[in-house]
Amino acid sequence: MTVDHPNDPAAARARLTEMLVRTGDEDRAAFREVYRLTSAKLFGICLRICGERQAAEDVLHDVYLLVWRRAGGFEPGRASPISWLATIARNKAIDWRRASGSRAAGPIEMAGELADTRPIATDTMLADEQLRRLHACLDGLEDRQRDAIRTAFFDGVTYSELATRIAVPLGTMKSWVRRGLMNLRSCLDAA
Amino acid sequence: MPPEEQHDVAAAEVALGLLEGEERAAALRRMLAEPAFAADVAWWRDALAPLVAGWAEAAPSADVEARIMAAVEGDEVSQAVRWRAVAVALAACLVAAVALLAMLREPVVRIVRMPAPAALVAAIQPSDGKGAALAATYDPASGEMRLSGAPTVPQARVAELWVIGKDGPPRSLGLLRGEGVRRVAVARDRRGLLSDGVTLAVSVEPLGGSPTGLPTGPVVATGTLARV
Repeated sequence: MTVDHPNDPAAARARLTEMLVRTGDEDRAAFREVYRLTSAKLFGICLRICGERQAAEDVLHDVYLLVWRRAGGFEPGRASPISWLATIARNKAIDWRRASGSRAAGPIEMAGELADTRPIATDTMLADEQLRRLHACLDGLEDRQRDAIRTAFFDGVTYSELATRIAVPLGTMKSWVRRGLMNLRSCLDAA
Repeated sequence: MPPEEQHDVAAAEVALGLLEGEERAAALRRMLAEPAFAADVAWWRDALAPLVAGWAEAAPSADVEARIMAAVEGDEVSQAVRWRAVAVALAACLVAAVALLAMLREPVVRIVRMPAPAALVAAIQPSDGKGAALAATYDPASGEMRLSGAPTVPQARVAELWVIGKDGPPRSLGLLRGEGVRRVAVARDRRGLLSDGVTLAVSVEPLGGSPTGLPTGPVVATGTLARV
């Protein structure tokens, strides 16, 4: 790992935090930098959940307008800037998906291919310790529980979509996920 | 299964967005009614947030940045333009009216009264039962909601007004900022939600309002809209 500014996690995170706070003061140059630092990640989220490029770009547009209006509410002490932005993108993309009745079905196995180990600037802005703990707890779940929870998170899909994708009854899917979430909670609380 | 564990999982289901239809609407209403549940949902959002690293990056088209920056420019300019347009229109009306008056000996302009849509009012009561209720009035003609005041919120927080329909998730109507009578211009696509019997709620949110589009902080006051 290099120690250059863009790849230094703490520096990258501090930079994004500063730009986001300045965006809250209606600083357009700062907002443009927030876009340049984060649009690849947020577009990746929109594309994954919407499943089509044009819709994902429209959603991305709405996401950044919301970021512009809501940046004043970002609390640097509480949330990591990229998590805050990603939550907005995920929710907006899910809204689009639900509103358009899209059922772009992908195989549940896709969730396993997501983990990207390259050191991407935005990724390294996350608290490594928190990420390690979460992964350790997810790894402790049964495969089917973990796959379902990961797919729900990354693809923004509901119980019924999860059940359809791997052709199990809705009740079965709900009980896998609920059991998995309970175990996840106990594990995270114990850590 | 102990009820406490059930509770946790329902909060996770909201955070993940697993629920649909009535189940989802009920869970979202629960977020408004139960501060502990809302806090649990926030806990799950934070707990899962590190997974963000797992989404692959992808480059949007180059023109998206320009579109966004243009929209943001418009955000401020548009209001100034609107006011200028209103001023110009008013001035033009005045000139026309003066000209008409000058030309006509007797008035031939008859005012046609449209039946005004009925106003809606609500008494918004503090959730903790302490303090006075706030009066809310909604004028369907102007799309403006007025509140006689706003609940006190901690520093660096803002009160956000929500409408909760009978079978839908809560929708934001806007932030209660400033002093004295608070005026909220209800967005056009939200006006249809305001009708007799729906619930208004005020939650405490980070500055700028809820980042998720749903209430994230405690609900400090609620009331029911009634036609007058």
